[in-house]
Amino acid sequence: GNTAVEVREELRKAKENLFGQNRSSSNGHVVFEKQQLELDSVVEETITGDYALIINGHSLAHALESDVKNDLLELACMCKTVVCCRVTPLQKAQVVELVRNYRNAVTLAIGDGANDVSMIKSAHIGVGISGQEGLQAVLASDYSFAQFRYLQRLLLVHGRWSYFRMCKFMCKFLGYFFYKNFAFTLVHFWFGFFCGFSAQTVYDQWFITLFNIVYTSLPVLAMGIFDQDVSDQNSMDYPQLYKPGQLNLLFNKRQFFICMAHGIYTSLALFFIPYGAFYNVAGEDGQHIADYQSFAVTMATSLVIVVSVQIALDTSYWTVINHVFIWGSIATYFSILFTMHSNGIFGIFPNQFPFVGNV
Amino acid sequence: MKRTSEESQSRLPDNSALKQQQLPAYRLQLTATGVLSGFFATGVFCLGVGIILILSAKSIKEIEIKYTKICGNCAKLREDATNFDKECTCSIPFYLSETMQGNVYMYYKLYGFYQNLYRYILSRSNSQLMGTDLKIVNKEKDVGTCAPFSRSHDGTPIAPCGAIANSIFNDTIILSYNLNSSIPIEVPMLRSGITWWTDKYVKFQNPRSKNLSIAFAGTTKPPSWAKPVYELDQEDPENNGFLNDDFIVWMRAAAFPTFKKLYRRLNRIQYFTEGLPAGNYSFNITYNFPVTRFRGEKSVVLSTLTWSGGSNLFLGLAYTVTGAVTWLAFFSMMAIHLMLKDRKNTVQTCI
Repeated sequence: GNTAVEVREELRKAKENLFGQNRSSSNGHVVFEKQQLELDSVVEETITGDYALIINGHSLAHALESDVKNDLLELACMCKTVVCCRVTPLQKAQVVELVRNYRNAVTLAIGDGANDVSMIKSAHIGVGISGQEGLQAVLASDYSFAQFRYLQRLLLVHGRWSYFRMCKFMCKFLGYFFYKNFAFTLVHFWFGFFCGFSAQTVYDQWFITLFNIVYTSLPVLAMGIFDQDVSDQNSMDYPQLYKPGQLNLLFNKRQFFICMAHGIYTSLALFFIPYGAFYNVAGEDGQHIADYQSFAVTMATSLVIVVSVQIALDTSYWTVINHVFIWGSIATYFSILFTMHSNGIFGIFPNQFPFVGNV
Repeated sequence: MKRTSEESQSRLPDNSALKQQQLPAYRLQLTATGVLSGFFATGVFCLGVGIILILSAKSIKEIEIKYTKICGNCAKLREDATNFDKECTCSIPFYLSETMQGNVYMYYKLYGFYQNLYRYILSRSNSQLMGTDLKIVNKEKDVGTCAPFSRSHDGTPIAPCGAIANSIFNDTIILSYNLNSSIPIEVPMLRSGITWWTDKYVKFQNPRSKNLSIAFAGTTKPPSWAKPVYELDQEDPENNGFLNDDFIVWMRAAAFPTFKKLYRRLNRIQYFTEGLPAGNYSFNITYNFPVTRFRGEKSVVLSTLTWSGGSNLFLGLAYTVTGAVTWLAFFSMMAIHLMLKDRKNTVQTCI
């Protein structure tokens, strides 16, 4: 239509037709086509049957006015496809923003020219095609590639893997950080009951410094970069695998609490088993082995091993780099341990490295 | 605008295995047989180790006698700190029903003494104990960590400084054996060889000098000590000064509030070549260390040892329980696996 009122009328009629019989109207510039007879179940936004909405820029300008745009949005979301032709760049951005603001959905915009830049910027994910039209779209986008068909690979393979690496089974990248830090820190809580709540740390100070940086950072990094649950070919062949990402099945509150509980259980086992083992014990030649330093070293070693084995169990795709990082972290821990507890370094810095002889 | 093929090629990412996520890799597939055999092996291992540890711990003989209540009058005397110069001894007879074969070790055990307190563990000076920095003049922070036991009233540095050294356990315990119900003889005990090798030879060193009292000139003893550090064992220069074994053993802070520390080892000579024979014994204790103010307790422990350490059943039990739980899991998984194996070949699409 030529005015907002006309456009609104057309939209309303189209919506009614959606619930009605096989009818096509070609009034004005709004064309509504029904491709298949739809059944009588009338549930809002769950229309069975494939519909397409085709709207041109001139009508879109009216349809995007504040009182009409809700109708447009409802109608558009009931259709399988919406084609907007002859639109201006600003209108492209406005359409994307309409969907983004009023629907709880993640939006992706893909384009190749300078006129797509505002659309790319207003979507959640902007994809630019580098090619005939220049680099403007590429510079404004989050991802870019050379051909439109690579979008399939971006979503189904790399997007899926990325979600999987972050979240699957609660203890991939994000969950793992919570797990290892809970296991690391909560032992101090349990130890507090036995040290008069004097905030004495269970580990020696160097271990605390190096734990998150050196001993446990690399394996999880390797897992975050390289892990795959299915091969890329299978990801493309079975697009149903994409559904868990859309439904946010793998990282929600429940998974997070499971991860926390796992960390708490680990810290309990890590503290109380050495506590019981050290409780009334003496070395085989009578000497004192239930001292604080031996206990600290035992706790630290068992923590590093448990946490590394946990990530080894979680890794489903073992590249060379995964092996090197995981076993290398354990080896690094032991070599630093031996160095710090040696007689030589005690001679140089007696107050910084008092754990001489523990190993 | 036409792009030359060169320019479009230059933006192409490398086709290396690393960048194309095609590194050669092993995809870990946990099959039923692999998991089941792993659980079974783990269960066998844990059960085996657990049973061995339990058997070894059970073969140890240990006797513990708590003497805070028995020596009640001494305990009351020590509650008042002004009684420090009054000596108090107490004698505890006991009967050993079986011979303790092999090496016997005598420990003192404390209950409720928190050697793992944060400020307490910090309160020492390792460089002073190494003999290099006796008067702790150089390192400002050492004076801070040893406080308030770093300098005496008139400003002389304390050697050894710190709260750990000041609170040393100073009871003397002597074991006597009643041979033929006549005059009791003192059981010969060794004072040496009760510390870690690195403690005695690396961590603790006396300051270099011919005469220890000259070496420690300019320092004073800690406030709670009866004798200065260079008089701890006048007979044996290897056991005097900072190298005193009892001192070193005490300085190794314990991990928990209930701990036992090695005091003496049996010297297997005369009547005691096979160990401690059965019979009547008694402990003669010079009671110096006050524990009743903080509701702690003291006891003496006599124990034999094996390769797995003292009589601590916990580790053996933990292994056994883990082995049992693993086997339980194994059997239940095996049952489920056998049940599901009968359902043949239903091909299911991926999710």
